[in-house]
Amino acid sequence: MAEHFRGELPRLLRILAAPAGFLPLGPALTLAVRRFARRKPAVFDRLGDYGKCSFLIEPSDLDISFLMVPDGTRAEVKCLRRRAGQTADVTVRGPLLVLLGLLDGTFDGDALFFNRAIAVSGRTDALVALRNAIEDAELTPADFVGATGGLGKLVDRSVIGGLGLARRFTGSPIPGEPS
Amino acid sequence: MSLELVCPAGTPAALRAAVEAGAHSVYCGFRDETNARNFPGLNFSPDELVEGIRFAHAHGAKVLVAINTFAKAGAMDAWKAALANAEKAGADAVILADLAVLDHAATHHPDLRLHLSVQAAAATPEAIAFYADTFGVKRVVMPRVLSVEEIAKLNAAIDVETEAFVFGGLCPMTEGRCSLSSYATGKSPNLTGVCSPPEHVAYSEDRNGTATRLNGFTIDRFGAGEQAGYPTLCKGRFMAGGKTSYLFEDPVSLNAASLIAALAKAGITALKIEGRQRGKGYVTEVVRTFRAAVEAIDAGGTEVEVGRLLAGLVEGGRQTSGAYKKAWR
Repeated sequence: MAEHFRGELPRLLRILAAPAGFLPLGPALTLAVRRFARRKPAVFDRLGDYGKCSFLIEPSDLDISFLMVPDGTRAEVKCLRRRAGQTADVTVRGPLLVLLGLLDGTFDGDALFFNRAIAVSGRTDALVALRNAIEDAELTPADFVGATGGLGKLVDRSVIGGLGLARRFTGSPIPGEPS
Repeated sequence: MSLELVCPAGTPAALRAAVEAGAHSVYCGFRDETNARNFPGLNFSPDELVEGIRFAHAHGAKVLVAINTFAKAGAMDAWKAALANAEKAGADAVILADLAVLDHAATHHPDLRLHLSVQAAAATPEAIAFYADTFGVKRVVMPRVLSVEEIAKLNAAIDVETEAFVFGGLCPMTEGRCSLSSYATGKSPNLTGVCSPPEHVAYSEDRNGTATRLNGFTIDRFGAGEQAGYPTLCKGRFMAGGKTSYLFEDPVSLNAASLIAALAKAGITALKIEGRQRGKGYVTEVVRTFRAAVEAIDAGGTEVEVGRLLAGLVEGGRQTSGAYKKAWR
């Protein structure tokens, strides 16, 4: 079923982002998650056996999706063409900028669900566990690229500032304000 | 400061967020069935609680540990361990509901300050006097079925502190006595710490919108763009008398910000924000907003527009003052 979410990327940006599907995003994200699991194993303890579940993340404004099994240092992320028709234990769909806001704690997952800014299906218990583990992880953009120290702070400031601007530009939900 | 702001934390990160946003106290629970928010991936290990309390105390905030489910007959070890771990971690108080847990705490942990959970549903001077006299309970969390006038009368008849919910998820039933979740799933907040356990919740989409199912029962269906609520039976939509409607309660969040001054006048000591299952984004926004609201009232200033500021965080997109102003009584 086609759904339109508030805060989706404008058409021009979608076109510019289209080549991303040809980049090795899956291996890069797999490495990033495994590196994070080595640095902060407690986050994956919190996830428990749900780490073996598969999570399909579908940015509604991109032609690619991500299939993730967040199993600690054995984690795996695959980048898929949207029309691959992949099934998973859990599917989460919403605009890219909103999904990224869930990762860094900018947005409250329940509020996004109430406002229908995201759609979910599949195993709700696995989704709740992942959401809570991510909430406690306090992920930053630097965690994804493995940057630390001064460089990490620079990456965080730049990316978070850029995402904030992009969310305002696209009309993404603002925390606390109605969608 | 006239009113203490008691704020939720489901994770150590949320605890830090609450403290940094201005919480006077934070309440949290252990990662097991001893507390009424026993959701996957949520809550604290004993070590995380130690660290969380250290952080809170370093910032001048208190930590209250919820051990507020009802212990299983003949299997109280988890609740005993939770009390011991809370005391060892340096908790400022424990929030309890069960008579056996209260008795164990009063007998074996006499230095722990005891608060009575809303789950105990103590709503009369006689019940509260019993808990205070028998176990030394120092504070009672008010059931969310009382009006402000009833709370004022109650406070005039008791000599322990009282705490009232002011924001967040709203149970329309008398807490601790609701069996709706048990009826549908075999699990309840009272005994296992979960209302509508997520392993029994499923969402499915079709051209009519999103259907919410609880253990196979369809309890609601949201059209495209229609605001959604929690998957609980009390906020489900059912057909009765030929009409489909929310029979018990609409998907709605409590917001009693406009009654803060009235609650203070009614003798309330602390204001409680619901939402240990919510994210840091919620905790930060709600705590910051209510701290400003409390300070504005203390200073005799203009009322903070809490409803507008927090409109995007509420269930079903709607807010209510709940039973505090219920006219049908």
